Amino acid sequence: MDTAWVLDHLDDLASRLLQHIVLASIALAVGFVISLGLAILAVRRRRTYGPIVVISDILYVIPSLAIFAVFVSITGITLLTVEIPLVLYTLLIYVRNIAAGFDAIPTDVLEAADGMGFTRWRRLRSIELPLAVPLIVAGLRLASVSTIGLVTITAVLGDTFGGLGHFILEGYSRSFPTEIYFGAIPSILLAIVADVTFVRIQRRATPWSRTSALGRLA
Amino acid sequence: MVARADRAPRHMQGTGESESARVRAMSPTSGVTVQFEHVTKRYDRSEKGPGAVNDLSLDIPAGKICILVGPSGCGKTTSLKMVNRLIEPTAGRILIDGKDAAQEDPIALRRRIGYVIQQVGLFPHLTIGDNVSVVPRLLGWDRKKQVARSNELLELVGLSVDRYAKRYPSQLSGGERQRVGVARALAADPPLMLMDEPFGAVDPIVRERLQNEFLRLQGELAKTILFVTHDIDEAIKLGDLVAVMQVGGTLAQFATPAEMLSNPASDFVARFVGTDRGLKRLSLTKVSEVKPRPAFTARVGDDGADVRKRAQAEGIRYALLVDTAEHPVGWIPVRRIPDQGRLTEGLAESMSPIFEPANTLKDALGRLLGAGVEQGIVVDESGRVRGLLTFADFGELLRTEDAS
Repeated sequence: MDTAWVLDHLDDLASRLLQHIVLASIALAVGFVISLGLAILAVRRRRTYGPIVVISDILYVIPSLAIFAVFVSITGITLLTVEIPLVLYTLLIYVRNIAAGFDAIPTDVLEAADGMGFTRWRRLRSIELPLAVPLIVAGLRLASVSTIGLVTITAVLGDTFGGLGHFILEGYSRSFPTEIYFGAIPSILLAIVADVTFVRIQRRATPWSRTSALGRLA
Repeated sequence: MVARADRAPRHMQGTGESESARVRAMSPTSGVTVQFEHVTKRYDRSEKGPGAVNDLSLDIPAGKICILVGPSGCGKTTSLKMVNRLIEPTAGRILIDGKDAAQEDPIALRRRIGYVIQQVGLFPHLTIGDNVSVVPRLLGWDRKKQVARSNELLELVGLSVDRYAKRYPSQLSGGERQRVGVARALAADPPLMLMDEPFGAVDPIVRERLQNEFLRLQGELAKTILFVTHDIDEAIKLGDLVAVMQVGGTLAQFATPAEMLSNPASDFVARFVGTDRGLKRLSLTKVSEVKPRPAFTARVGDDGADVRKRAQAEGIRYALLVDTAEHPVGWIPVRRIPDQGRLTEGLAESMSPIFEPANTLKDALGRLLGAGVEQGIVVDESGRVRGLLTFADFGELLRTEDAS
């Protein structure tokens, strides 16, 4: 470890970390909105379920280097070139999880809601979405970890992007292990922090799931 | 709610109380009539799918419990769901309070009809209090009125507000959840309740208790209730009217329980109500409705020699000792009555089961069998001896019922 080099580049680290977070967050947010719409469509119209999952499946298996390269030829080296592939990669994870979240809601709960006079929209908003939260958050966790990893690959597009991946790629080409660690370790930590944050959010958002068996004994 | 009232300024407490008092003072809306007019439900397949309903006509008076009973696949649940339009009939009409349900907005219609299902379907993410006030919330009641109504209903179904209102459904037992389900259905004070096997998922002891509470509640509320079950005993116990349906969705008989047991309309109904029809009818008859045989009684303080002479003249071997209020004390063997002196309570050697006016004949017979004795003592409301019922009397009652 070259401590002097590390201390010298702390400013760089901060700005690259920030960029990493921004690039990942944009993809996670845009992907979430699109996926929520697709998942609701898939659950409401059963016939669309198969095609939606198959298409997001196919997108997911395209190698990431290839997809970035293809988009460079279309959109140049721009934010779009970074974000479009990142968003596409979140779709499969999100759609599957959100759809599973809706599917896991007991049918008697939905029947009771219909029988009491919930409208479609009201039922979605105040019954189905809250009850799907645990699996939706599971999707967010998976997608955030995978997206944070993928952002490092955007370093191949040049110095403008890449977040912490910039250090990894540069360290590799210079055969300078300190710089590789300088990029890799913070990105691992970032993924862990994101994961833990989402678990916390889920606990906060689902007070009912914390109170099962113990409460009855009390 | 208590905590919030403590913190609120005095004048606020006043408003809160008057609000809840006003809600409580709201007298329950009693039932409406429901009519099925040639209602048919056919599913698309050419063969009759399960649960299809065939030309069903029923006329249910306001404020009565009408039970739809039959084997699975007879269309009873389908019939129920056509009332709140979760399922639309293929043909025919359903009139609620004289108005065609098909002409109404289904969402508004459902908010005016209470709905209880077997799995209860409580919302796991809402507290018990919030579950109960779901329909008031849909109807846009103000928050204070919602809470007051929800608290009132929890107490009505026997769940204390302090203990239950803030809990989640996963923390409750099956029986408690069922009560919450009933409270939730009653929240907006609907004149009509639809109940689909509401006590089907709880154990027999809890079920019996819930059934009794249900009858007590209905005594107060007088809603019109359509109630689906596959359990003929439940139908006989709870129903003012019973509609027996058979596979294919046709009505086999629509009658009061007593009428159905004494005059089953077809072999199917006779088989469905079971070979123990006589016994079942015993459960419909109260002790107060039969004439007991006279008992030979002697009162505490009577002269022993007198009683003995009287008994021997009638060929009686056991006298029933009663106290001065004519409450039964126990049996005295006539030969053990002393020649001198008066009768005391200490002379009574054994006791028989006591049949109170509200007991059913089935309960009475059960207690006789349980005690292993020949006869029970029938008393009136104030506990005075009216007479005796013996095994032979029960046998007689069963025979006359089978003959009718």
